[in-house]
Amino acid sequence: MERFFFNKPLYFFGRLLLGLIFVLASIDKFIHPAAFAEVIYNYQILPDTLINITAVILPWLELISGIFLVLGLWLPGAVFLSNLLLAAFFGSLVFNLARGLNIYCGCFSTSEGATSTLYMYLYVIRDGIFLLLGLYLFSNIFLRKDKAFTAGMKDQP
Amino acid sequence: MESVISQRIVLQMFRQTGAIVLLAVTLGVLTNLIRPNQLPLVADWSPEAQIAEESRHNMLISIEEARESFFSQKVVFLDARSPELYQASHIQGARNLPWEAVDKYSDAVMADIPQDALIITYCDGESCSLSKDLALDLFYRGYENVRVLVNGWSLWVEHHLPIDRGSVTSSFER
Repeated sequence: MERFFFNKPLYFFGRLLLGLIFVLASIDKFIHPAAFAEVIYNYQILPDTLINITAVILPWLELISGIFLVLGLWLPGAVFLSNLLLAAFFGSLVFNLARGLNIYCGCFSTSEGATSTLYMYLYVIRDGIFLLLGLYLFSNIFLRKDKAFTAGMKDQP
Repeated sequence: MESVISQRIVLQMFRQTGAIVLLAVTLGVLTNLIRPNQLPLVADWSPEAQIAEESRHNMLISIEEARESFFSQKVVFLDARSPELYQASHIQGARNLPWEAVDKYSDAVMADIPQDALIITYCDGESCSLSKDLALDLFYRGYENVRVLVNGWSLWVEHHLPIDRGSVTSSFER
């Protein structure tokens, strides 16, 4: 039980929450891989040849990281990977907002008041909050000097 | 004095991350092979391929053909972009049928256009899907002669072809 619950409920529930978010986020990508591939295409960041392979692998990265976060397994890896993914999502959105690319159509749109632009801002805020949560977990994993805490890591690869 | 970040944990992090990535790649590729909605690992994402895949024939039109059709006047151009962009400037004589609100505008815009009319949809940018989505929608509604001018707006402007500003009320003439 030590591994799952330290004397820091915020960390424990934060880990559960982020894990669940990742698991839930992955589900639709498994069900609709072609639609997800089109979303990646519309972000206009990855080269065409990498789009489908990303659509195939990324949901599994999310699912596995999410499950490991919830169960408290391989936390250094799971937390690091979660943060990488969150940073990538957040960064992609901000990048596209900055260059005026509407991710809903893959087109450059100058209409500021459009609903789609509003949604992009909302997603930036949402992903920003998730990223802060991820960074909080990251700081707990990597910056804690508490011996009881790090002792829980010893028996993991 | 203990370092702020334990080297041990950093090594764990790299090993575990690598293992998770390897697991994800393996599971992803294997499950993709056996599932019904399989994705080809590398696909052709060019506009031509995207449209051909969905409509089973090539709906694209070149800028030269589009120019010819424009000057022969037996064509309707549909601007699939937002009303704001259309108002700012558009292909001369084009009507605005914004994909984002297609259901709202479609009846009014398409009212006097016969189903066999040559229709050319356009938006802006190689990757812009508005024109493609609009064209496919019209196609499935029975407009069999609809074509897509990929990156239409930019190409039209680059070729110094006639443009308009504001709204237009043109009627379709055979």
